[in-house]
Amino acid sequence: MRADANGSGGEAAGVGSPSTGAVGLTGLTPLPPAGIAASTSTRMRRIRLVLVGGGVLMLAWGAFVMFDSVRLTRIPGVALWIGAAILLHDAILAPIVFALGIALRRAGRRVTGTVIAIVQGGIIVGSIMSLIAVPTIVAKNFAPANATVLPLNYALNFGIFWLVLAALTAGLSIWVFLRGRYPAVSIPDDTGR
Amino acid sequence: MYEAQRSLASPVRNPRMATVIGRLLGIAFLLCFGTGLYSHFLQEPLDWMRFATRPEFLYQVTQGTHIIAGIACFPLLLAKLYIVFPALFAYPPVRGFWNFLERASIALFVGASLVQITIGLLNTYQWYPWPFPFRQVHFALGWVLIGLLVIHIGVKLPIIARYWNKSSAEDDDDDDDDHLVDAVSPNHAENAEAMRLWGTSRTGGVTGRVLDYIDTTPRSASRLSRRGFLTTVGVATTAVVGLTAGQTFTPLNAVNLFGPRKKGVGPQGVPVNRTSEQARVADAAMDPAWALTLAVSGTERAFTRAELLALPQTEVTLPIACVEGWSQMAKWRGVRLRDLTDLMSADPETSFRLISLEERGSFSKTQMGREYVRDPLTLVALELNGETLHLEHGYPARMIAPGRPGVLQTKWLSRIEAIES
Repeated sequence: MRADANGSGGEAAGVGSPSTGAVGLTGLTPLPPAGIAASTSTRMRRIRLVLVGGGVLMLAWGAFVMFDSVRLTRIPGVALWIGAAILLHDAILAPIVFALGIALRRAGRRVTGTVIAIVQGGIIVGSIMSLIAVPTIVAKNFAPANATVLPLNYALNFGIFWLVLAALTAGLSIWVFLRGRYPAVSIPDDTGR
Repeated sequence: MYEAQRSLASPVRNPRMATVIGRLLGIAFLLCFGTGLYSHFLQEPLDWMRFATRPEFLYQVTQGTHIIAGIACFPLLLAKLYIVFPALFAYPPVRGFWNFLERASIALFVGASLVQITIGLLNTYQWYPWPFPFRQVHFALGWVLIGLLVIHIGVKLPIIARYWNKSSAEDDDDDDDDHLVDAVSPNHAENAEAMRLWGTSRTGGVTGRVLDYIDTTPRSASRLSRRGFLTTVGVATTAVVGLTAGQTFTPLNAVNLFGPRKKGVGPQGVPVNRTSEQARVADAAMDPAWALTLAVSGTERAFTRAELLALPQTEVTLPIACVEGWSQMAKWRGVRLRDLTDLMSADPETSFRLISLEERGSFSKTQMGREYVRDPLTLVALELNGETLHLEHGYPARMIAPGRPGVLQTKWLSRIEAIES
């Protein structure tokens, strides 16, 4: 692995801006962005201190409420779920999304970027809807508390949703593809005759 | 680590996009927190608290918003995480004490956010596959998350300020190369350098081959990627909200494909949360000897259902609105609570305790502030949508008041007593 030679690669979330480099952020002591007066930076620092301080207080209150209202033996379960959520996202979900993106771009060498973007968008929209919809199908199998909880045919609705989404994505892709191949406005070649 | 970051570089992964999506996600979090706090204090008021009783659909709106904003967090949070994902591979991983704290706070922020929206969603399905109590943890995590959000905004404020406006972001953006990491051309020079140093090409070995495979993947055009990304996030948010919000927002009822409740589905056209079977009240509720007891200043008086029906009846149209985000408008008919307490010569400043036939359950005893007790729309309801109240809706009598959560609209009323200090 190459060392971070130009110092631009290793910023924290949302920070790194290699082409500017002005917003270096190291914890609470930022380098003031170039061209901004020192007074602004003092004010900025004060606002940030207030925000971070207030945030820490609310965080501490949340922790107190947690320990005050949840039995101690249940708290490891909360920690476990939070840890599992991080792993699930960072180690499983994000790499899958990354691999899908690579695969789509490679598979799509011959079609325009717009078509790739549409197909990607369709897959993402469907996947996120699945996060909401699949649990309804699963939970309905566990015999809901009464007939008015989860009353719909979610499996059928889910199938319809994916069909409509696939049809829309395909239709839009084909339209863009054809438009690229046969431009709608053809300029008659009669100039200078 | 640098290689990993560079491989993950994308026109979408830039500070401006993080600011744009972060703002929307921040708004959604604040909406959830504010409406959640309101719902919490309605259920567990502090002594001095008084609440608005108008508009009568107030709680339907606040709690509907809570669930809608929570569902919108799914696409928004995933989009935000997608944008900042390369930061996970920052090198060196920790650059000092403050940097360690910041990264730890972000890890907790990410994990707790994912857990919060997941348990919130599954709660609306009444499905609890976790080893901790929902209500308490959801409430505590709400504070934790809002604290972490404010810390996060404080830490990132210079970037947020810099990339708040499109124009100022574009000033830095004219080379169209404003990624979280440099998009250096990887191949020739570096390979030559690698050969010179190590006698092997950069693309040698499994890692090298994988990286080379990734590096030779064509990049997508920046502008297209960003537009495509924003459009996708917009469509996904519209889809998850639009196809579920019909459970509370009537105009979307027709496209309610995935909401856990459906308007009009249930006995007398109203969904049910807690059934008489769960509450184990069927026998007591159907007992002909049932009577509603009112207790004020040591005086008690029992009203049979026939006696209640003989008092002046009022009809109101009020929604039943649940903490789980669904709501259903309905016509209720019964006796004004105000008339009953006046019959008992109660002081108008008195708050009351409502007691259900249900013996267990966290809402079998609840309190009602004087603003609801005195409200002309607050009824001891005996009929629903033109019929005798169904057992599942609280027969022989239930409370219905404007702007309160469903769990406080006490079913199977047994006793109403003044809370005297």
